[in-house]
Amino acid sequence: MSFDGPFMIQLALGVVALLTALAVVAVREITRMAVALGVFLLSVAGLFLFYGASFLAAAEVFVYVGGVLVLMLFAIMLVQRTDAGRAALESRHDIGSASVAIGLFVMLTVALRGVSNRFQGSPAGSSVPELADVLMGSRLVQYEMAGLLLLVALVAVIVIAGGDEQ
Amino acid sequence: MTWLIDNAWIAVALPFILVVPTWFAGRLNKTLAPVMAAIGPLVLMAAGFSAIFSNGEGDPSGGSISWIPGATDIHAGWMLDGLTAVMFAVVGVIALMVVVFSIGYMHGDKGWARYFMLLSLFTGSMSLLVAADSILILFVGWELVGACSYLLIGFWFEKPSAAAAAVKAFMVTRIGDAGLLLGLALLMREVGSFGFTEVFAAVETIPSGTVTAIALLLFVGAAGKSAQFPLHIWLPDAMEGPTPVSALIHAATMVAAGVFLIARMWPVFEASETALVVVLSIGAFTALASASIALVQRDIKKVLAYSTISQLGFMFAALGAGAWGIAMFHLVTHAAFKALLFLGSGSVIHGSGTQDMHEMGGLRHSMPITATTWLLGAGALAGVPPLAGFFSKDEVLHAVFGASPVAGVMLAVASLMTAFYITRATKLTFFGAYRGDGQPHEGGLSMTGPLMVLGLGAVGLGFFGHGIAEVLGEHAESLDPVTAIVSTAIALIGIASAWWIYREDVVADLRLQSRVGRIWDAAASGYGADAVAERGFIRPVMSGSRALYERFERSVVDGAAEGFARAVNGLGRILSLLQNGDGQWYGAMLGAGVVIMLAVVWSYDSINLWAANVSSWMGW
Amino acid sequence: MMGVLVSVAVFCIGVYGVLTRRDIVGVLASVEVMLAGAMLALVAIASSADSATGVRPLAESIEAVGLLLLVIAASEAAVGLALLVSVARRRGVTRIDELQEVKG
Repeated sequence: MSFDGPFMIQLALGVVALLTALAVVAVREITRMAVALGVFLLSVAGLFLFYGASFLAAAEVFVYVGGVLVLMLFAIMLVQRTDAGRAALESRHDIGSASVAIGLFVMLTVALRGVSNRFQGSPAGSSVPELADVLMGSRLVQYEMAGLLLLVALVAVIVIAGGDEQ
Repeated sequence: MTWLIDNAWIAVALPFILVVPTWFAGRLNKTLAPVMAAIGPLVLMAAGFSAIFSNGEGDPSGGSISWIPGATDIHAGWMLDGLTAVMFAVVGVIALMVVVFSIGYMHGDKGWARYFMLLSLFTGSMSLLVAADSILILFVGWELVGACSYLLIGFWFEKPSAAAAAVKAFMVTRIGDAGLLLGLALLMREVGSFGFTEVFAAVETIPSGTVTAIALLLFVGAAGKSAQFPLHIWLPDAMEGPTPVSALIHAATMVAAGVFLIARMWPVFEASETALVVVLSIGAFTALASASIALVQRDIKKVLAYSTISQLGFMFAALGAGAWGIAMFHLVTHAAFKALLFLGSGSVIHGSGTQDMHEMGGLRHSMPITATTWLLGAGALAGVPPLAGFFSKDEVLHAVFGASPVAGVMLAVASLMTAFYITRATKLTFFGAYRGDGQPHEGGLSMTGPLMVLGLGAVGLGFFGHGIAEVLGEHAESLDPVTAIVSTAIALIGIASAWWIYREDVVADLRLQSRVGRIWDAAASGYGADAVAERGFIRPVMSGSRALYERFERSVVDGAAEGFARAVNGLGRILSLLQNGDGQWYGAMLGAGVVIMLAVVWSYDSINLWAANVSSWMGW
Repeated sequence: MMGVLVSVAVFCIGVYGVLTRRDIVGVLASVEVMLAGAMLALVAIASSADSATGVRPLAESIEAVGLLLLVIAASEAAVGLALLVSVARRRGVTRIDELQEVKG
């Protein structure tokens, strides 16, 4: 393990991601959790960049941070109005869930232990033209499916949340 | 008629085939039932007599089919040799007489069709028994006649005493059957086959102890079926059945099956001195004891029942003395005159409305035909020459005396008692003044006809002794003059003394009873045989069963079943705690499951290795 | 290897959160964390190689797959939030314990 520049960057970003993830599952105030989530997602975007998936990083910032997070904030605010006072997010910390999580961690690590430490370069198809070729070419079906899924989700959201107003 | 001889299995199968049709036909049209029930006996007679009069040329006919193939092939087959032919003739004639008699006797009974159906079933079963070519098939017929006996004794099943008597008969003979079955099994083990030819050929090779065991076990079966001591207790109770049934089954044919069995298995018995001695002793004892009981009975059918037991004892004694041909001769004559006496008593019961001899008397005036034929039968039973019984009984006495003087004397005394009790019965029933309050009358031709036919038999059969012996393949003996004179004297003494003592009829009975009170009552109750059976066997078995039920079945077996159910219930309740509605709990369980399964799968090899180490360490 | 460790750790933290958080919003946020962890793992492994054979797995169109994962995450979040709003409106509470109706 060489402690050179790229390694340090990776380490820093990784640490931030881990810490903020822990914050998401542990903090007791909703808004703080939302902020933690935001930082977490940004650090993930950074890691994407580090690994050479630049388009994915950009897309992630737009969709996740800009879309999902904002949506969550809106929902929190909506929910807050019906809830009395500031929301206190509780967690029931118990050893069972912890051991499940740890066990899972061990298992997965063991399963993936063959991966080398050396960064080999950007994952294939990471330039926009190539990406377009893939999406419209070999992955066309999944692309269309994704579109369908989005449509269904949209309709679902409207039906579920837009329903009977008191 | 040779066709019938060659295909005699038809005579066996026909009555069986006719069973159900007889029942149906009987329900539709009253007359059809007895007609169809008579077909079986007629065919049987035809087959039997043709075989007898065909001079027995060549080998006996027979045939068989493979029944249970396997390591030891078991066949089902029939044969028609001299012994079978004689039995065919006897069963056929008696059955036919009984069918005809029943037309009058059972008139108006609501079980008409069922009655004749059962008669047909019995005819088939009995013919199967005597025509079997292997002891296994014989056993099948044996059991079938036992079932028929049960069904017919309990014919009027609404009467509790009849139902009880039927069960008693079946149970007691069952004990005998158990012995028979064991003997069968032993035979199979020694010989490897059930067929008679194979068994007889192999008798020499069986160790003597085993042969004795087999013979004794077979005798147990015979004793049960033929009501010898101590398995005789069912026969008197069997009188609950209709009288024609008593005539057919419990006088002439089924009870003779025991005698037939020993005659059929003769080579086995011949090989065992011990068995023959046992047979002789039991036979002689039964003959004597039973005759003494018959002396004090009031019910006319009971007199005849104990008489039958006694006469069967004579036959067994003859067998024990080594004279199976003579035993068969007596079987034939006894069938004729005992059936005659039973049907005669049936006529009396039908005409006078009672079975108690104290309420009869002077019936010879109102029922002359019955009275005359009865006298012939009674004379035959007592051994009065030249009636049939004289010849056969004489030969029995001679043979038995030659084998064992003691037994011979016992039989002589029994003969004396026989002459006595039958004369007593005759006097009380047919002579003197009428003591009852009914209108005694003769039955119709359907009842008197068979009486006359059997009367002829009682008279004439005695002269066929040699013929029968020839058919059986036995050496025919001439009458021994000494025995003849002695037995005639015994008979006449018995008759005369009974006649004189009972000149005052019922009064004589009562006077005797007051004189010898204790002995009289003891004899009348069969010397307490029933009480012994009750206390010695029935009560212990019943209380044992009850204890077993309470102690074991209720607590252990039911407890285990209930406990198991409760355990499952409890387990279910515990497991349902897992369903607490908490989604995150379910998720945690899922995750835990995944982790555990992965762990097991990944460490499978190491676990195997560890298990192998443990087993080798444990030494498995 | 570090990339694998980090992404798997992030994933497991998300699992813990899903099993632990008492509020629907908390659970949803934890689910987002899990998905992010999965995406990270995908990209990290795709840009590395098997230390034994030197072969790079998932050689092509990684970003396309990642994009699709993003779409799924987004639609899931949207529907989940819609459910949250609907439940809050009807029941007034968003705490899971008070919303449970199915009992053992």
